[in-house]
Amino acid sequence: MNIILRELRASIKSMAIWCGVFTVLIFMYMSEFSAYANNEEMLAVLDGMPEAMLEAFQMNSFNLTTLTGFYGILFTYFILMLSIHAILKGNSIISKEERDRTVEFTLVLPIKRSKVVIGKLIAVIINCIIIDVFLYGIILFSIQSYLPEENFMEFLLLLFASTFIMQMLFLSLGIMFGCAMKQYKRSGYLGISIILISYVLSIVSGLSKKLEFLKYITPFKFFDTAVIKNEMALDWKYILISFTIIVICLTIGLITYKKRDLYI
Amino acid sequence: MKIIETTNLTKFYGKNKGIEDVSLSINEGEIFGFIGPNGAGKSTTIRLLLSLIYPTSGKATIFGKNCFKYGHEIRNDIGYLPSEVFYYDKMRVKELLKYSASFYKGDHSKRIIELADIMELDLNRKIDELSYGNKKKVGIVQGLLHQPKLIILDEPTSGLDPLMQQKFFDLILEENKKGATVFFSSHILGEVQKLCNRVAIIREGHIVKIEDIKTLRNDNYKKVSIRTSNHNQKVFAIEGISNIEQVDGEINFFFNGDINVLLSLITKHKVNDVIIEEPTLEEIFMHYYK
Repeated sequence: MNIILRELRASIKSMAIWCGVFTVLIFMYMSEFSAYANNEEMLAVLDGMPEAMLEAFQMNSFNLTTLTGFYGILFTYFILMLSIHAILKGNSIISKEERDRTVEFTLVLPIKRSKVVIGKLIAVIINCIIIDVFLYGIILFSIQSYLPEENFMEFLLLLFASTFIMQMLFLSLGIMFGCAMKQYKRSGYLGISIILISYVLSIVSGLSKKLEFLKYITPFKFFDTAVIKNEMALDWKYILISFTIIVICLTIGLITYKKRDLYI
Repeated sequence: MKIIETTNLTKFYGKNKGIEDVSLSINEGEIFGFIGPNGAGKSTTIRLLLSLIYPTSGKATIFGKNCFKYGHEIRNDIGYLPSEVFYYDKMRVKELLKYSASFYKGDHSKRIIELADIMELDLNRKIDELSYGNKKKVGIVQGLLHQPKLIILDEPTSGLDPLMQQKFFDLILEENKKGATVFFSSHILGEVQKLCNRVAIIREGHIVKIEDIKTLRNDNYKKVSIRTSNHNQKVFAIEGISNIEQVDGEINFFFNGDINVLLSLITKHKVNDVIIEEPTLEEIFMHYYK
């Protein structure tokens, strides 16, 4: 419990920055949206764009002039940002003890290493939830002056649900890297590389039918916003895959951290 | 019951040796010195005892419990002062000590204030504003606040001024009187000499010798200097002599053996002056390192 509270207190500043960034982004995008909203000319411009480009950026599936379409596209980027946040935070919350050389304090306290990891994990989960709830609030506030489409609120909640699963997935990857790797610098680079590679793969997989199999490799295709919009549900298959990955990563993290020499 | 017991404790970092076959046995109530130069394996031994790292082979128990299985339980009763103290920079001293105390059973707030008073530590400062010496003081308070049964000190005095060192030693002696066992690692022999009952000398990862501090100091070693006009130092080449050197008209060496043999040898030659004295621990120590 004391570990959770300490970690939360230590991350207040970074949480505030993330919330601030999202506030600015939402208001910037909403002022952009005010130009698109129900704008027929805009639709015509979009229709004139090359097919492949529209496909790559998911604009084929979404109508930018509606709230559903606009947020459908925005969320691809929000999920990317929040995934980066989750994997970095997961990695650093473990490895920072070795980076700042505080292991000789924290892990000499009468507490099991696994409890330290679990405490930190819970702290980051709470951290993610706070940012998500804040983002949800800001979005609700920003759409006040528009009349949302029929299914929009439901769609928005589904987007958040998929965002949260992605956060947990990348968080557990980050925790695993932080736990398993002695070299904290390498584990950070590895985290960022994995995110960027998966993201690029998710874009590439939309470009051609031949590359569609990639959707099983990159988590960014697990919960395609376009599919969510059409189905109005998350695919159980991918929830299960995500859950399995999370459990595997955390188990590997806990076991390796328990057994390895700390880097002092 | 032995407080610390290690059997052939060995740690390799890849191919590099940390320590090899370290066997120690420390009794309750002892102040046990652990001396050796930097890089001899002192910190490695301590980190193994605290299960921050795991051994390549060998065993270690504290309070009769396996260090690597029951580390978290054992650490309830261990106070540790690392050679370099690192804490969460953004916290205040008070918050950090409270945080640390929250992991141990009981209320330790009184003891924190008491210790901070003795060490003249300002509890309201932020950790990252503190000087090296002041961080060390935080370490001392943090290590002692839960009245541990075993106190492990790794080069504890670096960064403390002599006055503070004295206060710190008094504090350790007081804890020892109350029953705490102390494991004191250092490369400064003077302080080990001052505090410890027994001492282990470690060199290149191996224990060279474990001895009573008195035996170590007496150990029959005599430091001899002879002023003589006979400049041939070879005449003193008898068994038991080591580190012989000649400076101007003086021949210096260590002698370990029957003092009568040495005396009768000296009387055979014409000497101007003879000094036979107890070597300091420092000198004995140097001797082990030759």
